[in-house]
This record gives sequence, structure tokens and C-alpha cells, in this order.
Amino acid sequence: MYRRILRYIWLLPTLVMLIASCVEETTPQLEEEKFTRLYDDDRFNESITPIDVAQTADGGFLVLAKRRLPESHFTGIYLMKVNSRGEFESAQELDPQYVNPVGELMPADGNHYFFCMDELTVQSYLVRVSESLEDISIDPVQAGLSYPSAASLQGNEFLLLSYDHVEKLSVLSRVRPDGSVAASQGFDIGVGDDVEEPIINHFIGGGKRFPFLTGRIPGGAYFFNGFYNYTFSLVFTDMSDGDPSGVVQGQQDDGGFSAVTPIASTKFAAARFNFGDNFLLPNVVLQPNSITSSVDYPGNTLPELVPNATVKILRTVIDGTPTLVFASDTKSKQIALLFYDEATGALLGSHYLGFSNPFEVASVISTEDEGLLVCGTAYLAGRFPRICLFKLPKEELTEKVR
Amino acid sequence: MKGLLLIALVSFSLTAAFGQSGGNRNGNKKKKNVSYMTKDRMQREENKFLEKQWWLGLKGGTNLTKAIVTTHFSGVSPTNYPVREAFKEYEDFKSYGSQVTLEGTFYFRQLSLSLQPTYSRSKFVYANHYAWSDPEIAGNSLELHYSQAQKTEHLVIPLLVRYDITATRLRPFIQAGAFAALLINAGKEVTISGTDYASGGEHEFTGDPIIVGASDLFAPVYYGLMGGVGAHYHQGNVRLSLDIAYRYGLTNIVSPSNRYGNDRLAGVGDAMDDMTMDNIVISVGCVFPLRFLGNAYKAVDNK
Repeated sequence: MYRRILRYIWLLPTLVMLIASCVEETTPQLEEEKFTRLYDDDRFNESITPIDVAQTADGGFLVLAKRRLPESHFTGIYLMKVNSRGEFESAQELDPQYVNPVGELMPADGNHYFFCMDELTVQSYLVRVSESLEDISIDPVQAGLSYPSAASLQGNEFLLLSYDHVEKLSVLSRVRPDGSVAASQGFDIGVGDDVEEPIINHFIGGGKRFPFLTGRIPGGAYFFNGFYNYTFSLVFTDMSDGDPSGVVQGQQDDGGFSAVTPIASTKFAAARFNFGDNFLLPNVVLQPNSITSSVDYPGNTLPELVPNATVKILRTVIDGTPTLVFASDTKSKQIALLFYDEATGALLGSHYLGFSNPFEVASVISTEDEGLLVCGTAYLAGRFPRICLFKLPKEELTEKVR
Repeated sequence: MKGLLLIALVSFSLTAAFGQSGGNRNGNKKKKNVSYMTKDRMQREENKFLEKQWWLGLKGGTNLTKAIVTTHFSGVSPTNYPVREAFKEYEDFKSYGSQVTLEGTFYFRQLSLSLQPTYSRSKFVYANHYAWSDPEIAGNSLELHYSQAQKTEHLVIPLLVRYDITATRLRPFIQAGAFAALLINAGKEVTISGTDYASGGEHEFTGDPIIVGASDLFAPVYYGLMGGVGAHYHQGNVRLSLDIAYRYGLTNIVSPSNRYGNDRLAGVGDAMDDMTMDNIVISVGCVFPLRFLGNAYKAVDNK
């Protein structure tokens, strides 16, 4: 009898191993690969709207957001740090003296930087944030630049677009991490209060928001998306003088580009708006040395997007394919992700994020594990703007583009 | 399809049971003419027959479920209040499910080895509560309640050892064993209700439920231990049974890789906790012997 039992005793560990192999277990890797988080704040009057997100060295994420200030026309500054699983770690509300946070959230020297301005003087400040949020310094940008509007990291410098409300100029500046200005050039927006009004309205709460941005063609001209010569235009410049080398004119403040990402010398991925309509241009040639109009570039019409939609473009590689990810807001209050082949501009796939509550996109970035992180605004209970993060794993993205 | 299968099983059980009863009646008629010695020999055969027997039957009943959280997860991450306030509140053993079991048992001298594949539907409910308020203006307040009902369908396959405490017509028994539960289907229903104090008065509201298929959110298989008590009552050749069992889940019933896989649920901040599932299972049924009886056999174990 015992011999018979012993003969089959090996079945027991085999069975245990078989069962163990089928057990579903949570691993840290699984929790990092994919998550959805809505970051709640239980204050009824609080309004937190994200601007940009960046991954930190510890695998976590740093979010720059603006928050409503009851006593100010401008928005205050809110910073949040989450870990690699999207779990909340800490948040900082900066002194309400400093307002109007401007993305991008730019990494340099092991810290992250962004611009803001003083509420009273409207002078630009450069904010340096440690990844843990424990060390934050706010220093004025030299040369007295006012109304910071957009910024991007170009090499070791920040390319800042600001508005000079005294001289009525859009000002493009190269700012070093210590706050000194390496070069600066102003561009005339035109004469009259009607030209300035939409710019000021952009900065104060409730006004129409414009997709100001800055960038540089790889090894070539700088560009900014802002007001020039009475219109919201895409302006190319070598920053040597106030005359642009090329301009893609908008339709006063009713048309222009909503996003621009340079691919090569004249090749761009872009999106434009025109009297509420939206057009995506995943593969467009723009001339940096001539004057054209944004309506010269037809693009793909997307009626599902909200009028004059926010559009964010990310260059990334998915499953070995250079891919452009367009993120935007739909009329059904979801975040739409559209994947295009960078080489051909062909649509590879789409994905929609967010149900039940309204959602709006703020930023989309690639992550270290070759996934995507989409940062947006979730209107909890349909009314409270709060930060949300969607982390999509590499495998899911691969399925989307196949 | 499931209904047809159930009807077929019940029909088969009843046919077999009555078929055997008829056989006994015939046997009784013949037994009147046998001698004492023959009767004694037949009795010994009866006892021998009873010592080793296969039983097949059907039972069904209700179950209650308790989800036991092993790790908390939430799609909502509080930034200015304790994380614990976002934890789910579970209702333990409050929602009724149902099950139907095909029982196959090998009996040997008051000990039985029983395989009881069970189609089991279970339900458990948890809730989240959120509130937004303004300490300066009392009327600026909103409360939201998310009630989430999980309905799962599993094929539970328990292998049990049973011991009949007595060898009487009414036989109490105890049983214990292990089971594997294979997921067949799952769904979730989220009902959002709340009270809005900020829109000009106290306004209570309930939204339309969000009903989604949720099979991906659950593990395809989980394992556990099972034990219980019950009793058989011998009626003719058929054993009627009543038993109460406790299924103790050992492994995670949730699929971690798909925790945030349902956009509609993630959109309301739902992320299922890692959890095991316990059930209280109450069943009634009947079983009949598979080894058919000889003419001399009157009834199974009619002591």
C-alpha cells in the first residue's frame, strides 16, 4: 500500500506546481506597465488643470499643473509627484505670488524647469524643481521678459516665448538654466488694442486659450507659434533680427497651428485650427523661408474633435516603427490618440481614453519602458477638474499600430 | 443550452431512481419465498454491496459571498486626504448567488471520495464614497456613492473526502477537500448616486447604472479549500441530501494584468483590489447508486 502511495507521490509537487503556474499574482512590473489614476482633491472650489508631465529618474512622474486662485485673475502653480505605479507621493502649491505656469516641464541638471510670472509685475520667473519636490527655487529671468507663453528645451537652453505688453512684441529668447538670457528677439504683433486683447485674455481666467509653442528645426531655424503681424502665426527665425525668415500665417485669432513638431528640415507633423475646424497634418512640408497661409495645408479633417481642439504631438517608436501620436479632445469628452506612420503619414490606429467622466488632454510622453503616459484633466463628478494619468504598456501600443 | 443540460440531468436522475425502485419491488415479491439461510446470505451480500458503491446525483441551492482583500488598489488617488478614505467598503455574505452541482461519489465503509463539478453564480458588492466640500461655505458640498456589484460565473470542481458519522437512514456527514474554480463569465454593474447640496438645495440623485462585461478583470482560474457538514436521508434507493459548505479561496480571483483594462470602469476610478473569495454554499439534492441492484436487494442501506 505504502509503496503504491510512494510510487505516485511525485504527482503531488507536480500538481502544486501546475496550480501555482495558473495563479494570478500582482507584480510591481505589472502595476507599472499599465494604470489609470484620477488624483482627487476634496476641496469643492479647487480646480487643478495639468499642463505637462515628465518622467523622473526613479521611474515616477512629475506633473506641472495650474490651479484656480480665488483672489487672482491668473492661475496658480501646482506640482505633483507620483511613483512609477502612479501612486501619489507629494504635491506642492507654490506661493500665489507666482502665477501662470508655462510648459514644457524641461529636464536639465537632474532637475526640472518651467517658467511662470509674478502676479503683480508679470515678469517671467524660472522655476527649478527637484524630482522629489523637496527643493524648489524661483528666480527671475534676466532682461525683464514679461508674460511667458511657451517654452521648450533646446540643447542646454530653454527657448522661451513671451509677450512684451509695453512694446507689443512677441519675444523669443534663449534662456540658460541660471536665468540669464543668451539671445532675445522681438516680433511686432501689430498696432491696436484689438490685437493685444486676445493675448491678455489668454492669460487671465476664462479667456480663449492659444496654442503658443516654441521649437527648433533640427540644426536649423527656431520657430514659435504666436502672434505676429496681427495674426496668430507660425514664425521661423534665426533670431538675428526682428524680421522672420518665414511665416505661416493664421486667420487673425481664428486660425493657425494648434501643434507643430519638426521631423526634418522642411518636414513637419502638425495640426491646425480654422474657425473651429481641426485638421491633422502628420506629414506636411512647411517652408521656413517663405510666407504662406495655414489654409494652404488641408490635412485630415476630424469632426469628432471639439472646436479649436488642443492637440499634442509625440514622436516615438512603436514596435520598431517611427510613429507620430496625436492626442486631442473629442466632443464625447474623451481623449483621442491617433497613431500615424512618421514616414508616410498613414494612419496606423487609434485609441480612446476616458469614459463616464469628461476628460481633456494635457500632455503625452514616452516612458522608459517604451509605453506611453497620457496626462489630462478629469472632471470628477462631471465638475471638478483634477489631474489624471493613463499609462499604456508597450504591448498594447504594438497592437494599436499593427 | 444550460437549461437543456439541466433538464436532461434531472430527467436522467429521476428515470434512474424510479427505475431502481421498480427493480426493488420485483425483488421484494421474490424474497417472500426464500428460506432463512438464503435470506442471511442475501443480507451479507447486501452489506457487501453497501460497503462499496458509486453514487451519482444532482443538487442545487444558494450561496453567499465574501471578498477578502489582500492588497488595496484604487483608480482614485487622494492628494489631500488619507488614502484609506478611498478604500472600498465590502458587503460580506449579503448577496445571494446560486449553484447547481453534479455529484459523483465513491463510497467505501462510511468514507466517500466525491467529485462535485458545480456551476456557481456568485455576487458581491462593494462601494466607494467621495465627498467634496468647502469649509467656508457649508452649502458647497457634493457627495457621491459608487455601488459596484460583481457577478461571477465559475465552474467549480471540488474533490472532497466525506465521512458518514453514522450508518443510519439519516446519515450526518462531514466533508473536506480542495477545489479549482474556472471562470466562465463575469460582469459588473456600477450605480452612481449622490447628494448635491450646491445646486440650490439638497438634491439626491441616482444615475443609470453602468453595466459592463468584466471577464477580463477576473482570473481565469482560482483555487481553494472547502469543508462542510450535511446529512443524507435514505428514501428507497435514493439519498436525499442537505449540506452546508464553506469554500475558502486561497488564490487571487482578480486578473492583475487587466486591472485597468476596462476604460469605462477606469473612467470612474474603479480598480479592483487583489482579493480571495469565500462562499457559504447551501445545497439540497438527491443521489442514486450507480451499481444497479440484483433482484434480492430491497433497498440501499435501509437500517
